[in-house]
This record gives sequence, C-alpha cells and structure tokens, in this order.
Amino acid sequence: MVNVGKPIKGMNNDRLVAGGGSFVADVQPRGVATMVVLRSPHPNARIKSIDTSQAQAVEGVIYVLTPSEIRENTNPIPEAINTRALGAQYAPWYALCVERARYVGEAVAAVLAEDEATALAARDLIEVDYELLPVVPNAEVALAEGAPLVEPGWTDNVLIRQKLVTGDPEQALRDAAGTVSGRIKSARIQASPIETRGVVASWDQHRKRLTCWSSTQAPHVLRTYLAEAMRLSENDVRVIQPDVGGAFGIKCPTTQEEVLTSYMAKRTQRTVRWIEDRQEHLLAAGHARDVEAEYTAAFSSDGAITSLQMRMVADVGAPIALAGWGMAYVTWLCVPGPYKIANLETELIAVVTNKSPWQAYRGYGKDTASFFLDRVIEHVAKEAGLPSSVVRHRNFIPSNEFPFMQPTGAILDSGNYAGTLDQLLEKLDFEGFAARKAEARRQGKYIGIGLGQELTPEGFCMPGSLYAGYEASTVRVTPGGDVSVLTGVTSPGTGNETGIAQIVADALGCSLNRIRVTQGDTDSCPMGSGNYSSRSLMLGGSAAHLAALEIRKQMTTVAASMLGVSADTVSIIEDVFSSTEAPEARVTFSEVVQQVYLFPHGKHMDNTDPGLDTTKSFKIGNVYHQPEVDGKFNGYPTWSNASSGAIVEVDPETGVVKVEKFVLIHDCGPIVNPLLAEAQLQGAITQGIGSTLYEFVAYDDEAQPITRSFMDYTMVTSQEAVDIEVGHQNTPSPFTPLGTKGVGESGVGSPPGAITAAIEDALSDLDVRLTELPVTPSRLWTAIQAAKTNVMAEVAQVPEKEMV
Amino acid sequence: MSTFEIDTTINGRPVRHSVDARKTLAVMLRDDFQLTGTHIGCKTGNCGACTVELDGATVKSCCVMAAESDGSEVTTIEQLSQGGELHPMQEAFSHNQALQCGFCTPGMIMSACALLKTKSEPTEEEIRLGLKGNLCRCTGYDKIIKAVQQASKDAPSGNPDVTSAAPLEATALNG
Repeated sequence: MVNVGKPIKGMNNDRLVAGGGSFVADVQPRGVATMVVLRSPHPNARIKSIDTSQAQAVEGVIYVLTPSEIRENTNPIPEAINTRALGAQYAPWYALCVERARYVGEAVAAVLAEDEATALAARDLIEVDYELLPVVPNAEVALAEGAPLVEPGWTDNVLIRQKLVTGDPEQALRDAAGTVSGRIKSARIQASPIETRGVVASWDQHRKRLTCWSSTQAPHVLRTYLAEAMRLSENDVRVIQPDVGGAFGIKCPTTQEEVLTSYMAKRTQRTVRWIEDRQEHLLAAGHARDVEAEYTAAFSSDGAITSLQMRMVADVGAPIALAGWGMAYVTWLCVPGPYKIANLETELIAVVTNKSPWQAYRGYGKDTASFFLDRVIEHVAKEAGLPSSVVRHRNFIPSNEFPFMQPTGAILDSGNYAGTLDQLLEKLDFEGFAARKAEARRQGKYIGIGLGQELTPEGFCMPGSLYAGYEASTVRVTPGGDVSVLTGVTSPGTGNETGIAQIVADALGCSLNRIRVTQGDTDSCPMGSGNYSSRSLMLGGSAAHLAALEIRKQMTTVAASMLGVSADTVSIIEDVFSSTEAPEARVTFSEVVQQVYLFPHGKHMDNTDPGLDTTKSFKIGNVYHQPEVDGKFNGYPTWSNASSGAIVEVDPETGVVKVEKFVLIHDCGPIVNPLLAEAQLQGAITQGIGSTLYEFVAYDDEAQPITRSFMDYTMVTSQEAVDIEVGHQNTPSPFTPLGTKGVGESGVGSPPGAITAAIEDALSDLDVRLTELPVTPSRLWTAIQAAKTNVMAEVAQVPEKEMV
Repeated sequence: MSTFEIDTTINGRPVRHSVDARKTLAVMLRDDFQLTGTHIGCKTGNCGACTVELDGATVKSCCVMAAESDGSEVTTIEQLSQGGELHPMQEAFSHNQALQCGFCTPGMIMSACALLKTKSEPTEEEIRLGLKGNLCRCTGYDKIIKAVQQASKDAPSGNPDVTSAAPLEATALNG
C-alpha cells in the first residue's frame, strides 16, 4: 500500500482556504429570484384561509404559493423510511402544510421576489386565518389518557412501538445479588452545520427539465423523490450537489423546501434561490434525541449484569417524511450494545408531538443507546462496589464470539471491546488517578475521571427505501492518462474523496496526482445513496476499489503483451509496469493507456476489451433484510466501537465543568487516511462534548420554541475546545475488501457517559447522580445543593455518640 | 428601493457603487462583487463565517450595513491569496487539515490573521480567545489552533498583503 494508510491532507483544502468553495449560496445564475418561506407561528393550528392579495401586489413580487396549489399539483414527499413496512403509523407530508400546521416552523406559504428584501417584506403581508388547536407539547402529554391527537386520523400518538423480551428478566431480578433502577434523559439537540440548508432550482422550458442544486447529502435519492413529488420523470430532473458546508445527517433528502423551490421554478419559469436563515434552521430543519429511559438492572456480586429492563420514550416531534424518527428505532436496536446480557426486556415508544420533527443527526440514535448504557453500567458499578472498568470487562461480548447476534436482530460483525478499554486505561493512567485526585483535592480542586463506551454500527441499509445500501463507483482512465473516479457517495465536507483517491491509486498502481474524484451530480455520477451512516469510504470506496482492480487487470494484460511476458508475472508500482520474467524491462502507465486508446485493434489489445472505463457496484455482506420472516432485520453491516475517558474539573460553587482531557481509543479496522480519520473523530467528540454540557433546543409548555439563534443554541467554541487524544485498534471487518468500517459517527456517543461519570467522580463525597443532559452549570449546581442537603440530613440522623 | 452612492476600497481596488440601502456588507460583497469567499452562517454575528477586515479591524460583515463601508477599506479572504499563491495562514490551515467542510474557514482565517497582527506569537490561550467569535462545527478546533501556531512561527506577520489594483466592476445580480 503506497497511499492507503498515509496521512494525506484533503484534496480540496487549498481551494477552500482560498475562499474558492462553491456552496449553494454561491450558485448565482443570471436572473435568479429569491424565495422566502412563511412558517407557522403556532404549534398546532388549522389553516382556515390565506389571503395573499397584499403580498402579491408588492412591486418586485413574482409569485406567492399557497397550500392548495401544492396539494393539487404535487404528490406527498416520499418517505425516507417506509413507515408502513415497519408497522409504524403514516402521515402524508407535502411541500406546504395542506390543512394544519403541526409545529412552529412548518412551511405554510412561499413568496418569490426579485430580491430577498422584497420577498421578506411581502411575506409579512400574507394574512393567514388560523384556528388554534389543542397542543401536544411533550411525550408525557402525548401518552396521557384522552390526549389530543397530533394526527387526527391515528389511533394514538405513537408512531412506532417495539418490544422485546428474551430470557426471564423477572426471575433474574429475584435471583440477583443487587438491583439498580433509575430514569435518564438525553436532550433535544440539532446537528447545526455552519452552512444552513439551501436550494437553487432552474426550469429549462425547452427541454422541460429541472436542474436542482441542493446542499444535500444524497443527490440521487433526491432526484427520485423530487421527481415523484413533482410528478416528473427522473430523466427530467438533474440534481447537483455543490460544496456542502457541513451536514451531519440534517441534509438527507427530501425536505419541504427542496420540493417547494423546484416547484416554484417550474411554475414561474424562473431560476429560484432559497437560502435558509439560522432561525428557520433551528425551527424547521429538524432535531434529534430527546429520549427518556426508565431502567432496572440486576447484577451478581462479581458485576455480571444478569438482566436489563429498559423502557424508552422518544419525542420525535411531528410526523414527516424525513428519516429522523428512525433514530429512535436504532437506539432500541443498539441496546444492550457491546454487552452480553442473557435476560432482556426493552421497549421503545416513539411518540409524536407538536414539536419540530426529528431529522437525522450524527450518531443516529446509537449515541443515545451508548449514553443510557454508560449510565446503567456506572450505576451497577457503584452499587456493586466495583470500578466501572471491571463491570464493563465482565459484561463485554467476548472477542471470539463474533459475528454476534443481539436479541434485537443486530448482527455485530467483529470487535475487541476489552482491547480498546485496556488501551484506554493505560493511556489515562487510570490506576494512578486516585493519587492525582487526592493531591488536587488538597489544593482545593475537584477533579474526576470517567469512562464511556460506544458501539457505532455503520453503513445502514434500510429495506424498502432508496437508502437500501449498495454503492457504485466508476473508474475511467482518459487517453492522456488522467484517472477520473465518479461515485454515488458524496462528501459534504468529510474528506472521503481523498480517501477514495488513495484507495484507487493503490488499486491501480498509479500516482495519486493522476486522480480526480467527481461526486454529487446525477447526470454524470453512477447511482448511489450518497453520504449517510459513515458509509462513503466503506461502500463507495469498496466499489471504487473493485472498479480500479478491473482497470488494472485490463492494463496489466496490455502491459504484459508490450513487455512480451505472461500477465501473472507483471506488477505495477507508481505508474511503472515491470515483470519478474524480464527484470530490466519497463513500460509506463501512460504508454499502456496510449496503446489502449490509439491502437485498439493492435496486437497488444488482442486479449482485452477496448477502453478503460468501468463501473462496479458493491453490496456488503452481514445485512439481513427479511423482517417479514421473524420481525427482525439487521441493517448495519459493520460495527465500529470505542472506549473513551474524560478527566474533568468541577467548580462546586458554580457548577461549571471544565473538561481537561478526553481520550478515545477507536476501532474501525484499518484506516485509509489517519489524518482525516483523526480529524473526523476530534470533530465528533467535540459535538459529543457539546451535547453533554452546552447544547439543547428549548420549548415552553405550549410547544413554543425558545431556541432561535446561536445566542441560544450554544455550541463549543475555541474557548471550550478540549485537549483530545485519539488512539486506534485495528479489528478488520470481514465484510469489506480492505477490512474498513465506518468512522464518521464514532466519537459522539461516549462523551456524555464519560463526562457525567467524571463529574460524579469529582464530587464523589457528595454522591451526586446525573440523569439528564446537558449538564449545565445551573443543573449541576442544583444537583450539588440537593446532594449536600441529603448529606446534611444523613448526618443529622446519625446518633451523636457515633459522630465522635 | 433607496440606494446609497458609496466610495469603498475593496481588496485594494477603489470602487464607486450604488448600493441598496437594505443590503449588509456581506450581501454586497457576495452578490454585487461575486466575492463569495465571505460566507453567511447566522446573520446574528455569532458564527463569524462572514468575518472581513474593515479599516484594519475584523467585523462580522453580516452585521454591518453595506452603506457603512463608504470611505472605508474592506479586505476579504480573496485578497489573501493573490496570483494563486496561498497566504502563510491559508497554507498552514491547508497543511494541518484545519478545515473539513471549509464553510467557516475564510472567516476563521481572517480572524487568525488579525490576531497575528496584534500579537505575532500568541500563546494557545490567546489563540483560543482570538478565535472565539468564529464557530466551527467540523474540526473541534484542535487542528485550527495548531495551524495558527504554525503560521505564527513561519510568518510572524499575519498581515494580509493589501496591494492596489485596477478598480472592480460591480455586476448587478439580476442584470
């Protein structure tokens, strides 16, 4: 391997640092008009009438679009996950809400004007007569007896319910040495890329063809779904993904605005631009997490967990066509994660409310499972009087039992969980920390250490969906010897184009600088499902690997003929073919390419096909798509994992937490580009730290959103950024040609568990139990005061003579 | 629509421009002069993707009206890499992989250059403080801090080279 395994900087870096990125807002065709969206200010309201006459009369306004027109001329937005195939309840979702607005921010109308200021002014003149309806502000209300229904046609407010019982948890409870019970909650958060969403759409009235530039992750998926919603053939839709300024799941298609902008372009025969503002993004682009769990675990005296019961209630917001609610399903799928627990009872209730809907976010529910399991492990460890590392070791699936099927149907491909934990404990000097802690305490500082564990299945293949999970790549060598790689996967700022180039260079035996990777254009790239679930390098890279090997085989045949040797003696390194049969003879990459293109009927081409242009598809193993057989399916082919540790300092007077150090030992098999993999992990861990300490989307009791700008949604800045150390272990996947697994989502799941445990450790005198994210200063301060009160109360109960 | 006549120097080139009174500096740079390296991420002055230099000091150009730039000198990310040669700070960001999606990067680099102008070899704490008005969602900042440290060692002056050139032509967006 000349290139794979090397820390090569991103191929787009120089262009992007120069300000030469072309993001969707930079797509500025001549005559482009600006669209703005009117959004519902109410969490649940029937639209009685809309008067657009004043808005339409404003000079510079081109068109005002209302729900009735959308209802008449478009189809519902196709679902990213087929709800009915999974036994979930369905609600049609159009580009504008057709009867009722079901959350603050749902699109009600759209205005197209010559410029943004005019469009905004006209939007204020649209008069909507709303009839306010009873609000379902949270899961508790949604599940209450006689609750109003978010969707009047549904039987209840439950989108999907999953229940699983294996073994005999009740008996295990009776037999246990000890039990723990509790309630834990993750916060409602948002992916929040710095680039918001955006769409530019253009209708060619002569070709009757739509071109749609979208800040999307999956252009081909968008093309099909856009065609379906717009009642067009897929041939008449071209989707182009420009540079994407971060996505993290939130830019998976298909959104209301993608259909809306495209429809507006076709309707008005104008080129239309819609660029979301930050408030819209926070209100309407979609949220994640907000899951509450109740658990009971039983354990034996050596820390073995003999049973786990967990009931999870997820507030997925209003039902729509996006894939967000699937995160709740994945949280359920990932319990009990890396642990082998014989008696299990898990229940998921995904509840709809009048909050903004869920949309995919990095981690896709695995994060929440990791946090819940970390909290349970810590609780067991505390009650059993054992270090949590011992409890983890005691319960890990042994590394010789893979592939391992969990009771949910998840099939874990490979792993060595004890290995990453051992490496972590050594790197953290876990044994030596008690002395450090005691010394710090003498200086009046409260420091603590905590562990986290994450299991991050990657490469999701969703049955009955265009996210079903194979990939295709083309490798093409031009007559001049350039190599172009076209993929169905995309890179919304993740760097997979660089990794794929490295893979192709090695598979072809050519130099890296010959290669250019093209992604994100449905007219030129092979069909694929785009970027999600950390799949791009693993699936798109594998397809490119296979295509490059085929080209190499062709070229080797030609080279062998030119060298006058047999093909099985020929190898190529860095653009030069040579043979063990004639050690002095050489023929270059370019010379072979010229033979292929200039002398296709020549003697060296007798034993091979003409041209150097191959498309290969890659379908990964370990995916089981037959839920109709036993109600179970495994959509995840590879299961990356990591152990992490945090060292924190807590100020007990203010509740402020500072993360001093964060270490993550990660296992995604062999790494194609260590620089980019480390970069991904540092970013993911930082998002995980944000979700632990700072980030949440707040609603009031009437489902009115309070979080409306980056002043309210507080992400990690350079000031809070943490010293992060990343280490690796290499347990290859048996199911990919290079053994690679996904890396993009690892790192977000374990910071909440590790940091909350570290905070509790720092305050070990007080027995603080943290159950809810994020651990803001006020929340921690309150917990500290409550714990102090408990300590005082306990002290007060001790008879005087025992206090001496 | 009311307009202002402004005389501004953009990236060393004097321009006379009739600007829509409702436009911010960021929108004017992007839409009227195609200087799309300046990005807009929040419009509330929080994310810093739109950071440019106005009369030698960094501003969030989404929170400055275009008309306010009358009589001023504006420097954007495009000015840093003239003739295809990257500025040392850009080189350091690229080399250290101090970016992923690249959306926050131009603003981040403008702030980093401004920091080095006031302090040629800042400490890590000073770098963190100097960049806290620029949000990055991809990197976790570690490699950004390393890039600024490297740039400060390689080229103590982060001062962008502002040279004069031919006047820019304003192009109407909807022309």
